[in-house]
Formats: sequence, structure tokens, C-alpha cells
Amino acid sequence: MGTQHIVTMLPGEGTGPEICEAVRLVIDASGVDIKWEYEEIGLDCLEKHGTLLPDKTVQAIARNKIALKGPTTTPIGTGHKSANVTLRKVFDLYANVRPAKLIPVLKRPWDKIDILNFRENTEDCYAAIEHMVSDEVAQCLKVITWPGSYRIADFAFKWAKAAGRKKIYCVHKANIMKMTDGLFLDAFREVAKKYPDIESGDIIVDNCCMQLVRNPAQFDCLVLPNLYGDILTDLCAGLVGGLGFAPGANVGDNCAIFEAVHGSAPKYAGLKKVNPSAVLVSGIMMLRWIKEEVAADRIQKAMFAVLDERKHVTYDVGGTATTDEYAQAIVDKMHAKA
Amino acid sequence: MPTFTETAIATKKKREIKLVGIDMYLITEKGIPKFDDIGPFKCEFISNRGTKVWPGFVSPDLLMVNWYRCRFMATKDVQDADVNIFLDALTKQGWWWSAAQKLWNYDGEAGFSKAY
Repeated sequence: MGTQHIVTMLPGEGTGPEICEAVRLVIDASGVDIKWEYEEIGLDCLEKHGTLLPDKTVQAIARNKIALKGPTTTPIGTGHKSANVTLRKVFDLYANVRPAKLIPVLKRPWDKIDILNFRENTEDCYAAIEHMVSDEVAQCLKVITWPGSYRIADFAFKWAKAAGRKKIYCVHKANIMKMTDGLFLDAFREVAKKYPDIESGDIIVDNCCMQLVRNPAQFDCLVLPNLYGDILTDLCAGLVGGLGFAPGANVGDNCAIFEAVHGSAPKYAGLKKVNPSAVLVSGIMMLRWIKEEVAADRIQKAMFAVLDERKHVTYDVGGTATTDEYAQAIVDKMHAKA
Repeated sequence: MPTFTETAIATKKKREIKLVGIDMYLITEKGIPKFDDIGPFKCEFISNRGTKVWPGFVSPDLLMVNWYRCRFMATKDVQDADVNIFLDALTKQGWWWSAAQKLWNYDGEAGFSKAY
């Protein structure tokens, strides 16, 4: 055993707790030494604590600086603030990193997709500045700032360079939103000058969507403002196998929260039939973040092998295995190869 | 046969509108502003880039810009004329503001978002 890591586990609600237990089983079996601290988040703690995100949870994340999070649900139109958005704001998790990479065994129409998406996570139309400015007109303020744009671009270039990536495109609609998206693009171009070894360019968001579905292999890394990032990262997830296999990380200067991007699927809660892969690949991403590359590689290899065999896979990929059986099959595969 | 535009306009529901506060957008390089009550308006929260920075905990790492949204809520029934007096007082205090947005309730429901 190497260094012990302390990680805050946020199981979330709905199917979240059963998914997170399965993921913990796999990660603990990988040889990494993690002490898990469980904390509450989401609808289940609304009744108990009157908030979707209790202070105790915030304090635990602040202390440990790293968390693995299961899915949560934001109630629509109830006035409750989203736990996810609040987490991003409290910890200033300005970079949403969403890799979209083809999983070899999942049959898709493309040979290669390996896109690293960097979505700005705190600004844009997500600044929660909305008003009914008359009884028949609503407006939402789109807030784009120079420092906010500069740091996501810098973060993306730095990550891309460390990952050996070659090309970054800024996605925008600066031909129409000349002030806001124009500022985002200007900051990106300024940052690009610091990284002459990485090819940079820009693409208008609607064209980017069309190019992604026609020829996704042409893209390497994308930097996006919040709203386009929200949409295009799901589009990219769809290209590689859906949200069931899409990892995500919300990263700030001093804290990182790794999470699946799918919902909590409350109608399946307790049935133990959902696929835990999205949280698992987020966990793999987390292991790489804490420099546990060996454990990350072991899990990834075993997971691909189990998916390839198709004996112990969940219903969404054509199998009949439960969440636990799928996780146990990955553990068995890791041990078999050890 | 009404046009779609005519049909849409006909669906408009009349709602009772009540002035309850003002969102003020201030530019300052001096950090998070502090306010005493200004007439019938009391500062309820201040946000920066959409994140609440007063009152309560602010991460020391939080990126802030020189543009603050300051929400002032009315402590009694107010009229538009009270807003004019408020703006005048705020300006005389030396605050440089970029915009003001009146906050209205519609049939008793807030017509504005809460702060994160």
C-alpha cells in the first residue's frame, strides 16, 4: 500500500447510493488506499436539514479537497437551489472537464473519438441573474468576464499540454454575441500565445455541433463557455455511448469533485439494475488526479474486459447482471489478472 | 381566423405587480461593498459573477471582478418615486453604478431569481 488518500464520498439520491457502493467495491479492490468519508447531498437531506447541501458536507469537502459524487436531482421550479451549482460556486470549481473517448467494446459508427472538453463552469447564463422585467417578459443575464474566460483557457491549455494533446478549439457564437462570446474568444486567443506548441483555433458553436456528428475524429480539445459546454458535452457523451459511460470532473484551484453527469433515475432506486460505469470512470479519473495511475489502469482494463465478454453487463448494454454483479465481475477480472 | 400572434397575445394573463426591491449593479475596485439602510431599502445580499459574497462564507479562492450585484429589498410599501430617491442617495454616497433593475412580485410571487 502507498499513500492513504481521504476522499469525501457523496452517494447522492435515487440510484446514487447503490451505484457508489458498487464503485467503492471496485476502487477498494484495485490496491489503492482510500479512506472514504460519507456525507449527504441532494433531495434526501432536504427534509432532514432543510437544504440540498448541508454545511457539514461543505466542510468535509473543504477539508479533504477531493470528492466522488453520485447523481443528484434538482427539483424543477420549486425555488430550491441546485446542489451541483451551489457546490461549483462555493468551491469556485470553474473547470468542468468532460472527456469523450470511445470505449472499444461499445459499437459506434466511428473508429476514433477522443475529445477533451473544458467547459467554463461558473459564468454565462448560470450566474442566476434572472428577472421578470414585465409581466410578459423574462430576461436572463449572460455574464462573461475576462478573468473567468482567461483562467478556463489557461487551465485547458495546461491540461492539454500535460496530456500530450495537440489541438484546442474555442467554441463560441461571437459572430452574434460580439461582446460576451467575443470577450471569451479574445481571452482564449491571448492565452493561446503562451502555448505555441499547441495548435489553436476557434469554431462557431452551431458549426461545431454539425462537425461533431459528421466527423468527430477531427476534434482533440474544446474550450467552451458554460451553456454551450453543457450542451456539447452531452452531445459528445452521446457519440461515445451515452451518459451511462460519461465521466466528469469539476475542478477549482484547490478542490476537485468527480461525478457522473447522468441523473439519479429515482424510478430504478433499490432495484440494483443500473449501470454504475459513469461513476466508475469518474472514479478512474479521480485516481489519475491523485496520481494513482496503476490502480486506474487496472480498473479500466478490467472494466473493458468485462464489457467485452458481455456475460456480466447491465441491461442497458444488453445484459442481465445487477449493479453489484457487474462490479463484482470487474473485481474478479482484476484479481484474475493480478 | 386569428393569426398565431393574435392567439399568443390573447393568452396573456393579467397579474398584480408590486414593487419590492431593487437589484443594483455597482462597479468598484474597493472589494465587497457595505451599506447602511438607504431610506426604506435594506441590502439583503451581494453577489459577484452570480455567487453570493455577502453575507456568509466566501471562499478565499473565489474569483471576483469589479462588478457587484447588490440586492436591496423594501422594508415597507414603496413606490417608483422611492426608487428615484434611493438612486439619488446612492449616487451621492459616491457609488458608481452601471444598472438598476426593479424587483417586482407578480401575484405575490417573486419575479426574480435567488442568489447562489
